[in-house]
Amino acid sequence: MSIFEDMRNKQEELLRTERLPHVWCPGCGIGIVLNAFLRAVIRRKIDPEKLVVVSGIGCTGRTAGYVNVDSFHTTHGRAIPFATGIKFARPDLNVVVFSGDGDLFAIGGNHFVNAARRNHDLLIIAVNNFTYGMTGGQHGPTTPTGAYTTTTPYGNPDRPFNIPHLAISLGVPFVARWTTYHVNQLQNSIYKALGMKGFRLVEIISQCPTVYGRRNSMKSPLSMMEYFQKNSIIKPNASFEEMELTYNGKIVVGEFRVRTNIPTYEERFDDVIRRAQNEN
Amino acid sequence: MTQKKYERKAVVKILEDRCKGCWYCVNYCPTKVLVISDKMNAKGYHPPEFREDKEHVCIACHLCELYCPDFAIFVEELK
Repeated sequence: MSIFEDMRNKQEELLRTERLPHVWCPGCGIGIVLNAFLRAVIRRKIDPEKLVVVSGIGCTGRTAGYVNVDSFHTTHGRAIPFATGIKFARPDLNVVVFSGDGDLFAIGGNHFVNAARRNHDLLIIAVNNFTYGMTGGQHGPTTPTGAYTTTTPYGNPDRPFNIPHLAISLGVPFVARWTTYHVNQLQNSIYKALGMKGFRLVEIISQCPTVYGRRNSMKSPLSMMEYFQKNSIIKPNASFEEMELTYNGKIVVGEFRVRTNIPTYEERFDDVIRRAQNEN
Repeated sequence: MTQKKYERKAVVKILEDRCKGCWYCVNYCPTKVLVISDKMNAKGYHPPEFREDKEHVCIACHLCELYCPDFAIFVEELK
């Protein structure tokens, strides 16, 4: 059996196959991201008993129900606080937060900012599909300026979050962004992030043909994929202005920041406990 | 223009009941061994069909497995 066939069979073991086909729409990018994530886990040879997948609410929040490892489907926006708790109670586990843009950056924005600031030992897989897919396509904090959604029928007046810029400004050790078109690069980035320590963010620009693409002249799944293919530029040393997402504009992708020497919150906390015990 | 002849290396197996008809596999297959079929699965989608002839042979690149969002494709390599 070749390594590829072996990986595909192991991937099948990491899925709750009795629940497939999943709820995601035809051509949804979350399946591609989950596919890449499971492959990276297999390549890292992580014991499924030592892996926890935490997700919030929304389309991406359903991921927790399809992985055959210990998983946690939490309340809206609170995926990172729950994951922080798991990591504190069981530091030996690999904790992965697999959630969407609405969950992580809208209602959970404050949790994201503060967890990133403290550098908790978590891997964040943020699937950014520009909109709130499950509730019918309302505009969110990552919708590009000018995009049409159900709540912005004349174009979105807001500016979107520049997520890699936000993460880098908080000193996060690993920041990467890919689109679902870059399946191999995405898998390699998650593989790299799984082997590191600290708060690691992988943002994936994903397609939502059903509610976002339909209102923005990309009706079929393939037309959204073509948009990613034609407009993405791989530029790891991009400036902050270039990282900003614009409506129908270029998408700058790459591994923007890789640092290995930043102490995690768990390490600093252990240090504090040790000093307190020595004093008494 | 004569197309380069590739050696036949694998067979693509499709779990039709998982397919949702996004056709990424059909579009991104480098040798175009997958085509949209006329048959329907239980949910009413048209799954792809494995087709091989002299010009189109599977070279076992496994790209369709990577692009499939529904975990519906297995590439079985020939021994």
